[in-house]
Amino acid sequence: MAKVLEGPGMGLMKKWGIAVPHYVVVSSVEELTKLSDAQTWLRDSKLVAKAHEALGSRLKLGLVKVGLDLAGATAAIREMLGREVGSITVSQVIVSEMIPHKDEYYAAVKSAREGAEILVANCGGVEVEANWDRVKKLKVEVGHTPAPDTLEQLAREAGFSKAMATKVAAFLGRLFACFDNEDAQYLEVNPVVAREGDGELVAVDAVTLLDADARFRHPDWTFQFAAEFGRAYTKNELDVMAVDAKIKGSVKFIEIPGGDTAMLPAGGGASVYYSDAVVARGGKLANYAEYSGDPPDWAVEVLTEKVCSLPGIKNIIVGGAIANFTDVKKTFGGIIAGFRKAKAEGKLAGAKIWVRRGGPREQEGLEAMRALRGEGFDIQVFDRHTPLTDIVDMALQKKS
Amino acid sequence: MSVVANKDTQVLIQGGAAGLNAARRMAEFCYMVKRPLNVDAFVYPPDAGKTNEVPYGSGLVTIPVYKNVAEATVNHPQINTSLVYIGADRAAAAGIEALNDPRIQVVSMITEGVPERDAKYLGRHAIKLGKIFNGPSSIGIISAGQCRLGVIGGAFDNLVACKLYREGSFGVITKSGGLSNEIIWICSQFADGVTTAIGIGGDAHPGTDYVTYLEKFEQDPQTKAVVIVGEMGGDLEERAAEWYGAAKRRIKLLAVVSGFCQESLPKGMKFGHAGAKEGLKGEGSARSKSDALKKAGALVPDTFGALGPAIKQVYDELLTSGRVRPVPELSSADLPKLPKSVEDGMKAGDVLVAPLVKTTISDDRGDEPLYDGYAASELINKGYEIPHVIALLWDKRLITKQEAEIIKRIMMLSADHGPCVSGALATIIAACAGIGMSQAVAAGLIMIGPRFGGAVTDAGRYFKHAVDTQMTVDDFLSYMKKEVGPVPGIGHRVKSLRNPDKRVKELVSYVKGLGIPTPHLDFALAVEKVTSVKKDNLILNVDGTMAAVLVDIGFPVESLNGFFILSRTIGLIGHWVDQKRQESRLIRLFDYLVSYAAPKRREVPPLK
Repeated sequence: MAKVLEGPGMGLMKKWGIAVPHYVVVSSVEELTKLSDAQTWLRDSKLVAKAHEALGSRLKLGLVKVGLDLAGATAAIREMLGREVGSITVSQVIVSEMIPHKDEYYAAVKSAREGAEILVANCGGVEVEANWDRVKKLKVEVGHTPAPDTLEQLAREAGFSKAMATKVAAFLGRLFACFDNEDAQYLEVNPVVAREGDGELVAVDAVTLLDADARFRHPDWTFQFAAEFGRAYTKNELDVMAVDAKIKGSVKFIEIPGGDTAMLPAGGGASVYYSDAVVARGGKLANYAEYSGDPPDWAVEVLTEKVCSLPGIKNIIVGGAIANFTDVKKTFGGIIAGFRKAKAEGKLAGAKIWVRRGGPREQEGLEAMRALRGEGFDIQVFDRHTPLTDIVDMALQKKS
Repeated sequence: MSVVANKDTQVLIQGGAAGLNAARRMAEFCYMVKRPLNVDAFVYPPDAGKTNEVPYGSGLVTIPVYKNVAEATVNHPQINTSLVYIGADRAAAAGIEALNDPRIQVVSMITEGVPERDAKYLGRHAIKLGKIFNGPSSIGIISAGQCRLGVIGGAFDNLVACKLYREGSFGVITKSGGLSNEIIWICSQFADGVTTAIGIGGDAHPGTDYVTYLEKFEQDPQTKAVVIVGEMGGDLEERAAEWYGAAKRRIKLLAVVSGFCQESLPKGMKFGHAGAKEGLKGEGSARSKSDALKKAGALVPDTFGALGPAIKQVYDELLTSGRVRPVPELSSADLPKLPKSVEDGMKAGDVLVAPLVKTTISDDRGDEPLYDGYAASELINKGYEIPHVIALLWDKRLITKQEAEIIKRIMMLSADHGPCVSGALATIIAACAGIGMSQAVAAGLIMIGPRFGGAVTDAGRYFKHAVDTQMTVDDFLSYMKKEVGPVPGIGHRVKSLRNPDKRVKELVSYVKGLGIPTPHLDFALAVEKVTSVKKDNLILNVDGTMAAVLVDIGFPVESLNGFFILSRTIGLIGHWVDQKRQESRLIRLFDYLVSYAAPKRREVPPLK
């Protein structure tokens, strides 16, 4: 699932006929000043300014300001831009029009096994979170479109009046069309508000998650996906991603501060089981890593260097299941080269290395690892006869 | 017995190179279980009408490639299963095409990165048709002793190590393809092995879930227990737990779920498969899945490593209760073996192959070429130069600095001799006719022979013969007159005593100045003295000088023409590039440069 920031998210909703507030995304005060000459609503409406970054709890962080006039919005932008929260620096602010309203509602479409599920409630904002039983749901099978009558009935069930239910049904129909046509995995509008004056339903705040795998059929997805991570990537993580983008197979690396057990396992499935075993045995993960799909040895070497450069590591888990077609000798060659480099740079002092692996050329690969003992590495090597995660038990001394 | 894939499974593969690779792996399995190859056809429009060759045992099976599924199943009506190896952007269409074919009952999609909506649609479509859609991102399906779909099971040695040549009692359903081999291995080590192992794919919404397969395993009397390898995200494991707890089941269920580590990660950090990227606590979390499975009565070890002993425990109970009988193991001599390739056989010392070619000068099998045993980079780094490489490759010896200098001078002196000589002219004419470099240069090289540049070897041969047999100049000249004819290396078309060849003078004075013994050069100069008196232009020419000097420094006679060919190639390439640079047009000889001595026009007599 790929998260999309509010700006592009609102753009997609607008494309499918959903009313959204006027908005602009700016990265400088000057930009807003220029835009305010062109767009009258910036001068005439009450405004909201929000940091346009993948950050949780923006309100608490003071990165959401409401009820502003243009001068207030300008001041808010000046204050927000460049603010550092963890490893994220605020570089964009979204300024949107405040929609005057009395009532708030909730609407969402999420992916379900059968296809999708439409959710609606006649309360919104924080109220819906506290009253989740008021949310009414409708499953829609993939390839089908819900009939207006069905949606209207759903709205009635959620407690909307007859007249309102027709409007809500129309809104839900558009939201579903957006979900279905844009390969979305989650669309949540909270709140939906009835605009004072014309009573039109407007999507004031939205969460948009798209299926990154469907990018090939959406040439208008020109926006970047936001980090799903809740923090920006570190330099080492970005280095490994750059390698990953170049190669056949894959290498992945995520740092976890404060851990002492470094992970260098093979395979997306096994790597999580190895991480689980570390946690189950009371260890503290220093990172997540994975290489799979028979990557070139130099890519594994880069990954190994990053793992070895983690601070304060006591154990390195070079685990892996019995590979289908990843060449053990070759990928271990990359790991060994990485280890040697790290050792030459004075890293790995006091770190114990634990190896378990099987697959094509397993004997040669494991033998090469064992030979590292002669070079002064503290390394224990096991073959397919040792159960997958037993090296974690041994490393963390829960098993002799 | 088995589920989904069995002895009657006949396969169509939709895809190109990846599909062909899978067919090769499937052929290894078929060979192991002694059944004919079960892949009948490929569908891959770019290659339609061609065939793919798949090694089976020690032979090759030829399999046709079709344009579409209908064409394949009409020609091979026994096909009942399709494997999809088509790129993510076209995979859905390929899957639908296969599902809609009346003969195909099972479609397994290997493609990764298929949009979720497409996967869901394929899954629902299959259910409506009463068929099985497995995947996307499936590593494959394998039924021990019967059928392999895809590359699941890995290399042949691993198939044998995991005893996949015969049935066990354990079913396997795994989301992770990378762990499929591991779990099959565990079942073969801690119990009697697997019946069928199914990779359902790591996506959030696989086409077929655990429950569908659990029901099939429940109906398969050979399967006594099923191992599920799950992960966090989605609700497939919860549904499996619900199914298992809903009634008394014949099969014993074991399961592992991954993703507990996410609980102790900083908020918002998630990793693993696409399907694992949701749910931290509560529904969809590893804990909720594990709890649900335990509650339903499944055996859920706390780490993957503890799965082996848990499987053993179940197997021991099955043995004790008599529901399973121990399987006698094959001795290592009886284990199935794949015919070795010639390369593997040679590595193992099992076969002797008579070489086709023998070389004594060079070897490029390492990370860089070795010239007569010396690494090119080491030669460079230790200051050796082109003449040394020539000597290594032509005469298998490391020459001295002085000898190298002589060769260098010879090459510099004979690199080119203007556009008018036969070789250069031929190359220039070819270049102007638009001929490519290698052919045009070859046209020039073809001119090198007895009258142009090709006399070096012969000159060397006869000078050497004279010196070896200690002939006098007079003996030599009468010998040559009687046995050979004009003396190679003596005489020039335009140069003479009065108009000496500067190149010869230069080379002779350099070599003589070195103070090394030069018996052949001395002899050649002595010959020149006599011949040039007879006729002004019977001087020692550049071929003869080169020949004498090269024989003096020990080069074998047969290699001598090579020095001229090599040197002149430099010039010929220059002429070709020069004409290209000028964008020269086609040239032809002018009539006035031809003497037309052919008969005048006359009447053709009637044909008899």
